[in-house]
Amino acid sequence: MIELLRRADPARPAVVEDDRTTTYGELTELAESVAAGMLERDITRVASLDHDAATTIAVMAAAALAGVESCQYPPTDDPAEIDALTARFDHDLVICREPLQTIRASATTALALRSAGSVPAEPPEARPLLVLTTGTTGTPRGVRQDWHRVLRGATRIKPAPDERWLLAYGLHQFAGLQILVHVMAAGATLVSAVPRRPREGLAAMRRHGVTHASATPTYWRFLLAEMRTDGEAAPQLRQVTLGGEAIPGPLLGQLRDTFPMAHVSQVYAASEFGSSGSMRDGRNGLSLDVLSRGDSADIAMKIVDGELWVRSRVGMLGYYGEPPVDPDAWRPTGDLVEIVDDRIIFRGRTSEIINVGGVKVHPLPIEERVGAVPGVDMARVFGRPNAMTGSIVAIEIVAAPGSDTDALTTAIRTACADLPAAARPRSIRFVDTVSMAGNKIVRRDTE
Amino acid sequence: MSGSQRDVRDTIKSFLVLVEKDAEFDRGTALFAEGLGLDSLETAELSALLEDEYGKDPFSSETMPQTVGDIVDFYDAAVAGA
Repeated sequence: MIELLRRADPARPAVVEDDRTTTYGELTELAESVAAGMLERDITRVASLDHDAATTIAVMAAAALAGVESCQYPPTDDPAEIDALTARFDHDLVICREPLQTIRASATTALALRSAGSVPAEPPEARPLLVLTTGTTGTPRGVRQDWHRVLRGATRIKPAPDERWLLAYGLHQFAGLQILVHVMAAGATLVSAVPRRPREGLAAMRRHGVTHASATPTYWRFLLAEMRTDGEAAPQLRQVTLGGEAIPGPLLGQLRDTFPMAHVSQVYAASEFGSSGSMRDGRNGLSLDVLSRGDSADIAMKIVDGELWVRSRVGMLGYYGEPPVDPDAWRPTGDLVEIVDDRIIFRGRTSEIINVGGVKVHPLPIEERVGAVPGVDMARVFGRPNAMTGSIVAIEIVAAPGSDTDALTTAIRTACADLPAAARPRSIRFVDTVSMAGNKIVRRDTE
Repeated sequence: MSGSQRDVRDTIKSFLVLVEKDAEFDRGTALFAEGLGLDSLETAELSALLEDEYGKDPFSSETMPQTVGDIVDFYDAAVAGA
């Protein structure tokens, strides 16, 4: 990371936040001084929490420069939650915005760690990194990575200092790291707005002249809903990227219509296997070519019983607390796919399948149908436990302002009337917002 | 949990209208077969609706309701035992 920061124009803005702008020069200086402090204190592992984006990046770069394994925690101010994370991942030191006295581990701040001591010109060979999974299906796991692998594609990124990328993911997420690496490698500017919700993201796009943005389909759907509500002009985006979830059918067209100047692309990546690259043709799914990359490819893919499997030599080293993974072993991704013409289309996650009286039902096609009903801003389909059938298909609806919910219920039932009986929503509730983790819809019962 | 006999009957009636079934019934009307003719998924849907309305679902109890009256009695017993 530090090489990327050092090689950019030091006067250029690296990170724009609502209350301040941090240049590449300032970021490099902070990272080097924190790295010196880490080396002086013989720190080998550290957790980082609740910083502004610029400080988070500086701490990450500092750790990489000092050969310290860093782990960015998801935002929280709950001491019990922090204690659970430090216990789970054996962290003795947490770098926080303010020194917390109420957690079990030692706490310090990035500013307190700074030192004028010397730092190596080059980072060490081993630059470990621990990335936590989103935990959409349970407790987060620690994915052991190495900066060499995370930065693998950075050399191919061309300088693009005029690009302004929205940070729609947290920097504790692998997708956020991917954006960070891309922006820093391009010498571009990262625009960070918290919390990382579509409403704040849309405001930041307008306020700070964002040109490029990468987010989950759910994030984009909410952002479009926000735009419909506020009626203001669309940001002048040049790049719209989607990843992290299956893409509902109508969404790509809606994005093209809303952002006519933008290239629409999608990425397929995960903290476990790395990034398989992006599809830039604006069409849904992956090209079939990815199935015939050959044995020498860094990332190879195959489909087994409708699920995508990956063999990655550039992915994780292993899960924290578990044996290392074999880089030549095939692993299931949990992503359900279907080949349609010359594309591999994502249909959801294996963990999202609803078992209705022995019939397997996929939530996404139902969500797509219901999402297309006028008056539905957002839909979340999940399995609701039921004594009669094990589960039923349940749906939560965020209705457009001013909608008649009785009429909407009838319209939703009509829209689903020709689905197989097991796939028809049997429980329809109207809610203010749907349950999400990492800006992805959680398609399981959350009660 | 609330659920007067009239409330429960109204809930069942509105459900039957929703699923386009004959909404005329009395206490002795069977839920299945020649009665209301609910299939397993419709029964599951009714159970979810009752749980949403009254916080408890008679179909999760030890004795599965067979008639409209069984459902009404389930809520009467729950109120009496509260």
